[in-house]
Amino acid sequence: MTDLSADMPPSFKQKPLTISDQRTRARNAAEKRFRLYGVAAITAGLVFLILLVFSIISNGLPAFKKTVIAIDFKLTTEQFETAEAALLKTRVYSDYFTQTLTHIITNSELNLEINSRSIERIIGKVGGTLRQFYRENRNMLNQPVHFDLPAASRIDRYFKGTFSRDGITKENRFIQVEDLDLVDALAEVGIIQQVFNWQFITGVDTGVDNPGGAGIGAAVLGSFMMMIVVLLLSLPIGVAASIYLQEFAPKNWFTDFIEVNISNLAAVPSIVFGILGLAIFIQFMHLPQSAPLVGGLVLTLMTLPTIIISTRASLRAVPPSIRDAALAVGASKMQAVFHHVLPLAMPGILTGTIIGLAQALGETAPLLLIGMVGFVARYPDSILGGFEGPNSALPAQIFNWASRSDAVFVEKAWGGIIILLIFLLSMNIVAVLLRRRFERRW
Amino acid sequence: MYDIPPSTRSVVNGNCKISARKVDVYYGDNHAIKNVSADIADKTVTAFIGPSGCGKSTFLRCINRMNDTIDSAYMKGEILLDGQNIYDSSIDPVQLRARVGMVFQKPNPFPKSIYDNVAYGPKIHGMVRNKSELDDLVEQALRRGAIWDELKDRLNESGTGLSGGQQQRLCIARAVATEPEVLLMDEPCSALDPIATAQIEELIDELRQNYSVIIVTHSMQQAARVSQKTAFFHLGSLVEYNDTVQIFTNPQDSRTESYITGRIG
Amino acid sequence: MPVLWLILIIIAITTVGFLLGCSRAQRSVNGNVRALHSLPSYYGINVGIWTAIPAFVILGLWLLIQPVLIESHIQQSVQSIATGKDVTFGLIMSDIRRVADGLELAITEGGMTLDEIQSNDLDIDTLLQTLNSLGVILGTNVSNSVLKSAQEYQKLSAGGNILMSITVLATMITGLGLALVKTNKNFRARISVEYGILAILFFAASIAIMTTIGILFSLAVNTLEFFKLYSAIDFFFGLEWAPSFSGRGGSSSLGVIPLLWGTLYISVIALLVAVPIGIYAAIYLSEYATPKVRAFTKPLLEILAGIPTIVYGLFALLTVGPMLVKVFGNNTVGWMDGGTAVITAGFVMGIMLIPFVSSLSDDIINAVPQTLRDGSYGLGATQSETIQQIVLPAALPGIVGAILLAASRAVGETMIVVLGAGAAARLSLNPFEAMTAVTAKIVSQLTGDSDFASPEVLVAFALGTTLFFLTLGLNVLALYVVRKYREQYE
Repeated sequence: MTDLSADMPPSFKQKPLTISDQRTRARNAAEKRFRLYGVAAITAGLVFLILLVFSIISNGLPAFKKTVIAIDFKLTTEQFETAEAALLKTRVYSDYFTQTLTHIITNSELNLEINSRSIERIIGKVGGTLRQFYRENRNMLNQPVHFDLPAASRIDRYFKGTFSRDGITKENRFIQVEDLDLVDALAEVGIIQQVFNWQFITGVDTGVDNPGGAGIGAAVLGSFMMMIVVLLLSLPIGVAASIYLQEFAPKNWFTDFIEVNISNLAAVPSIVFGILGLAIFIQFMHLPQSAPLVGGLVLTLMTLPTIIISTRASLRAVPPSIRDAALAVGASKMQAVFHHVLPLAMPGILTGTIIGLAQALGETAPLLLIGMVGFVARYPDSILGGFEGPNSALPAQIFNWASRSDAVFVEKAWGGIIILLIFLLSMNIVAVLLRRRFERRW
Repeated sequence: MYDIPPSTRSVVNGNCKISARKVDVYYGDNHAIKNVSADIADKTVTAFIGPSGCGKSTFLRCINRMNDTIDSAYMKGEILLDGQNIYDSSIDPVQLRARVGMVFQKPNPFPKSIYDNVAYGPKIHGMVRNKSELDDLVEQALRRGAIWDELKDRLNESGTGLSGGQQQRLCIARAVATEPEVLLMDEPCSALDPIATAQIEELIDELRQNYSVIIVTHSMQQAARVSQKTAFFHLGSLVEYNDTVQIFTNPQDSRTESYITGRIG
Repeated sequence: MPVLWLILIIIAITTVGFLLGCSRAQRSVNGNVRALHSLPSYYGINVGIWTAIPAFVILGLWLLIQPVLIESHIQQSVQSIATGKDVTFGLIMSDIRRVADGLELAITEGGMTLDEIQSNDLDIDTLLQTLNSLGVILGTNVSNSVLKSAQEYQKLSAGGNILMSITVLATMITGLGLALVKTNKNFRARISVEYGILAILFFAASIAIMTTIGILFSLAVNTLEFFKLYSAIDFFFGLEWAPSFSGRGGSSSLGVIPLLWGTLYISVIALLVAVPIGIYAAIYLSEYATPKVRAFTKPLLEILAGIPTIVYGLFALLTVGPMLVKVFGNNTVGWMDGGTAVITAGFVMGIMLIPFVSSLSDDIINAVPQTLRDGSYGLGATQSETIQQIVLPAALPGIVGAILLAASRAVGETMIVVLGAGAAARLSLNPFEAMTAVTAKIVSQLTGDSDFASPEVLVAFALGTTLFFLTLGLNVLALYVVRKYREQYE
């Protein structure tokens, strides 16, 4: 040691604690730097989260609003009959609407040059709605009725700020700069206004020719049907399997084999479950394609490992003393489990199930394979039809919209994401509340 | 050394190395150390004894500011090392710990080779310039830890593969490798069998030549065997602090007497 | 008898059986319930189990097996139709099934009688007209031989269904009778019921095994079918991916290498984003952050793991892609032509994987014993020295496991790749180019009206098999590493 001390700076041992030498300063700097990397990593993660949330909200909120032309409209019986006798019926209704609008504008105090082509360009697809209304409500003929009818999709985007005057050429068939001047004037007097788009929430998918009218209602219903299937199957099966594995399974190779299977299935990519669904349920069992029933079956198989793992954790958390107490008063093992352990574990099991369901709700890839991306423009006509008839699902509908080129559909896709996330968020909040409310410490 | 009665052991009245002044420690709301003042001598083995939870380990951890790593711990008063307050805001606890080494209750070798375990401290403090110096330093430390002869051929094996007693001596070697002036030992033998305990106690007695050693122990026999000074803690207070011989033969406080005769504990 | 009715009947009889069992048990002891071995309800449940379970098991098995038997029976006539034509067995089979369904519908909707349907001189136009008037459109023109096979199919399955109903109901009644006869005060109903329940629990637990078998079966059967049509060597070592969509000519090149390359390239970029951020975040959260910061930040980061992948896909396609084009596009350095590229998908996938890496690493770092940290601090090491030289090396196997799990996630991820990476299969090193991955091609080959006989569709199953074993390998390796690590400290 002595020879070593000789090599060391003589002051090393008696060095006062406050004076830091260069090495200590370097070490402390390294310490600060390292800490900074950590802060940077956390910040990066949070920035990504904020960016994600921001782009969802800013892109998706416009989907909940639509631009409408709000006027009183009157249709006479003769007009109705003429229109019904015409070849292009909705076209005639559209023309009537254009006439009425032109009339209203000329009679108003607005000092505008009226170009009927402009008006045709700014109204959206109104003919179908008008025709349907008057065919169903003939008693409303010959009297003024207030309508909020959609403006053209470009006008809608103009109000939402995703479409501007720049770049409108003279050759553009769909819109001209003077149309927008007219629109601005009409907006000032309240003939054109933005309203909450209920149709987006309650409506069904539409063809590419009418992006503004597309709604997500049918897809939400499809997802809801699937979640019912998943809940009804995965909760009882998951609980039964967990009880067997946690409470009754003998220690042997077969039990080990089941456990290995469960932990591996939990990590199998979801698309492989889609392949399973396609091959077994559709190819082999001939169950209907695109049906929420099949989607639910696939998602059940996919969610089961998650539910089993969390259920077993809840069962494990019930202390053995509870089982002992039940056995000591003469209950059978089965009774001890079903009367005492299971009720105590139930809040945890439900929490796990809800989280599993939330995971299943957002899953898209397997649904693509079993054909749930088809174009479905109607609600199912019966409950049974809702399960086995073709339907879409929330994430699949979003995917479908995202792959169409029209900017309005893209906006709908973001809006659909907001709805999806609202569902997920509320499910997770329920799970957290459930856990808080029933959390028990032994 | 066991057959030498404590009274005949020489007490080196070295200079005062550490002096604590009115130290209070809180863990959250729990008042763990109450107004403790003590002077600890250089080149002496000082034993802290007392029942479980009396604060002796807490006080020990104050001396090299290990309590800083516990978020809820909070300390008042001052502790002077060579006359300098170690809780002064200008003090770098890292440098302090290089001078006040520590050995823990449970042997905690790093999951690295034996060589790397010992070399770790010298490396981070930049005490050596090249590999051969480091080799010498490791050998010296292992010799001081009285474990060189057992391990010199196994330096590249993992430190976690050793027996409990060897692990603890490795930890002592690791602590002395940074050339500390004070060595804190928190119940260093509680996880060891009697033979390993005897080896460690022997080692402590040798370390006294170079260091001020403070040992926390549950075993009064051990305190009597290895220490020259003994402090008795009870419910967070320092009850009695005196030469070991005095404490065990003629305690001044009734609580000390109750403890060493086994009535409280 | 429709299956739904059968199920409702079984449920109704089971309820009756339960009540009968309860009352019979009570009568056997003249109302003195204490004299019974078990509670009366156990006798009822016992009868219920014997009534329902065997019946349901037979029903389920019958429904699975009958179509297979019928198909193998009419296979010969199908083969004779298929010979010499440009259609495959599978297509004809599905035609036959559709026509048979139409026949069935014609009966149930009352458009035709059973005799008409089964007569030899039923011709296709009459059928189509009848169905049309019922609002069902059968579509494609159906040949007469297909109609004959369909008639046979319908006849067999109708007969089978009647036989099934009889068998199921007979089983049910037998079970009910046997269980009722056994019901008396000395019968140990509770024990019998508990065995029944245990069997049900066991069945539920073995669904995991059945799922695995189902996956392996569906992959294996179709993959083998694919390798009959396309050489396995060309698939595994082919450097070109160019499926032809025109017809069933052998002109497609279906080599997996470009797809695997895309998958791996995207995954590597994802890990380059996720691993440093995830590990540093985990270190900060477990070693530096105050409990308050930790309680706030950790759940926020974990939100990233709960967001569905379709959202990330859209984020890649519509936000990150255009953003990257703005930075690297033709207006600046000109490296990037379109928003969909390897780097887009990789970057977004990296964001998704951050919480996977950070949560698992956080757990693992926390599992490193505090005594090791104390030992290092006691020697005068700074916190970062302790972390870098003691904690991280000790936690390394676990962190490697976490990274492997994240890698397996990346390889199996579908939606981000489908939306963000592009569709062109390419062997290129440029991360700004569009490439595609295994999962994306599985989706594109299997969506739409697919005929399970062409190599262009069946290749998806071969891709699925590749993907399955790739991720399985990563998972097994990760679990092995993590378990090994746990043993070290437990």
